[in-house]
Amino acid sequence: MHPKTADRIATVFFWTIGLITLSILLFIILEIFGRGLLTALKPSFFWGQPKTDAPGGGVRPMLFSSIYLACLTILISLPISLGAAIYMNEFARRGRFTNFIRFCLDSLATLPSIVFGIFGMTLFVIRLRWSYCLLAGACTLALLNLPIFLRSTEEALRQVPQTYREASMSLGSTRWATIRKVVLPTAMPGIITGAILPIGRIMGESAAVIYTTGLFVNFLPRSPLDPAAPLAGYIWYAQTEAWVPDYRQIVNGGAALLLIIVFLINYLARKLAKVYSEKKTLGGI
Amino acid sequence: MKSNLEVENLIVEKDKEVGKEMAKLGNKIEIRDLSMYYDSFKVLENITMSIPCRSIVALIGPSGCGKSSLLRCINRMNDLIPNSKVEGEILLDGENIYNPSCEVIELRRRVGMVFQKPNPFPKSVYDNVSFGPQVMGIDNKKEMDEIVEASLKKAALWDEVKDKLRTSALSLSGGQQQRLCIARALAVQPEVILFDEPCSALDPVATQKIEDLLIELKENYTIVIVTHNMQQAARISDITAFLLMEVQGEPGRLIEYSDTNKIFTNPSDYRTERYITGRFG
Ligand SMILES: Nc1ncnc2c1ncn2[C@@H]1O[C@H](COP(=O)(O)OP(=O)(O)OP(=O)(O)O)[C@@H](O)[C@H]1O
Ligand SMILES: [Mg+2]
Repeated sequence: MHPKTADRIATVFFWTIGLITLSILLFIILEIFGRGLLTALKPSFFWGQPKTDAPGGGVRPMLFSSIYLACLTILISLPISLGAAIYMNEFARRGRFTNFIRFCLDSLATLPSIVFGIFGMTLFVIRLRWSYCLLAGACTLALLNLPIFLRSTEEALRQVPQTYREASMSLGSTRWATIRKVVLPTAMPGIITGAILPIGRIMGESAAVIYTTGLFVNFLPRSPLDPAAPLAGYIWYAQTEAWVPDYRQIVNGGAALLLIIVFLINYLARKLAKVYSEKKTLGGI
Repeated sequence: MKSNLEVENLIVEKDKEVGKEMAKLGNKIEIRDLSMYYDSFKVLENITMSIPCRSIVALIGPSGCGKSSLLRCINRMNDLIPNSKVEGEILLDGENIYNPSCEVIELRRRVGMVFQKPNPFPKSVYDNVSFGPQVMGIDNKKEMDEIVEASLKKAALWDEVKDKLRTSALSLSGGQQQRLCIARALAVQPEVILFDEPCSALDPVATQKIEDLLIELKENYTIVIVTHNMQQAARISDITAFLLMEVQGEPGRLIEYSDTNKIFTNPSDYRTERYITGRFG
């Protein structure tokens, strides 16, 4: 075949695939928004109290639970994954041990989230007697997200050119000073994005929270040991139990609300990383 | 301010005197029977050379003969490469830097390094120069300002950047960045500075500036420079070391080590002559 013809065929082929992917995505988004956007944007929905006996209930405690849970999860997993990533990337020699850790993490990443849910329930809820609460959910989600978190943090650290480390060490800094003053500031945009992006997943996770945080509350949880009802779990609950006539509204509105939040968060992650890297090159560290 | 400067000049004058004395007295660095390995691969074998105080020593030789490796032995940067191993000794002012009692951090302050590709941190010009002193624990703003200014002046960069100390170092030209890296190295007041092909990424004008700078720095510092540029070695160095790995896979050896003049006009080894006349490598 003539190279030019081949090129043309390839171009058309990949264009088509790209278009198909894009239209599937668009279809899903439009479908969710088409069904639930109007409900999601109603203040009486996203800021209203839930009702168990009449239609027109809102999801304020659930929205709050989701956000609270996400923050708590990040708070727990960020230091752990950052520490582990620094250890694996800056201190540990590449070898059997780090390979073993990576293997374990990769295996962990492929486990279905329901397994984490059951594990979290067995350990935190029952064994440690925390009962259903935000902390149990956050710990479970932290475990669930550790592999992704660690990967993205490691990736951010690996992006820091070796020449920066060499320059720093050649000036007589210790390894720790190099990490603190050169590696971390340079990797910060990547670390921030890596920490924010999984929030979407955390918020969308239902299987792992159903068994650990609770399914329904009509108050805003305060302490991490309070029970809560994250939105995604609540959507599942409303769909299966259907205790109010307008449960479809709750499900569709909740889904649209989740999607909006995820969009917002991803946008924020990009903005933050950009602002940070601009500040850094201007010498603002 | 002016009197300060005069005092500084006086000290520099005096330092020069001392330097000349020291040069007569002895060597800043003595490398003795040094061999080096990456894993089981021997890259350098039995290198022995003495580097006099306040002189420029050039390391030349074909690619892969171990020039960078040798250079990085002198400030123990090779420690950062797992599985690298060194045998033999390197004496700095008579003390073996491979003694277990040697403080590597302190050693790297005394023996600075400038790399092949300019590698300023993605920070401001000021923060780049103040990095070393800051790590050393200097936190007095005025003192730091003075160090930064003095270092940039010594690196012949002050006039070009004095109005943009707060802008990103990455916005400077390649030649300016390399001089910034030199200023950054000077800021911790080293005694020796190692240069690994510092001009290979620069144009002739920037190269010229760095060469002038090196000759100026020689007054106060001991300099070891790796270069692929024969003319550069001939122009600026006092002593030249010719390293060669004769067969691929064999370690690099020091073939000839003598006055630059002699190496370039009347080398004693036929291999040196072949190399500098461009017949191999
Ligand atoms: N980190 C390393 N691990 C294993 N081998 C290495 C490492 N660094 C260098 N080497 C090998 O050691 C030998 C000497 O390398 P070195 O970089 O010192 O040579 P060089 O003389 O500086 O070459 P060039 O002129 O190309 O910079 C080469 O064969 C190289 O492949
Ligand atoms: Mg080299």
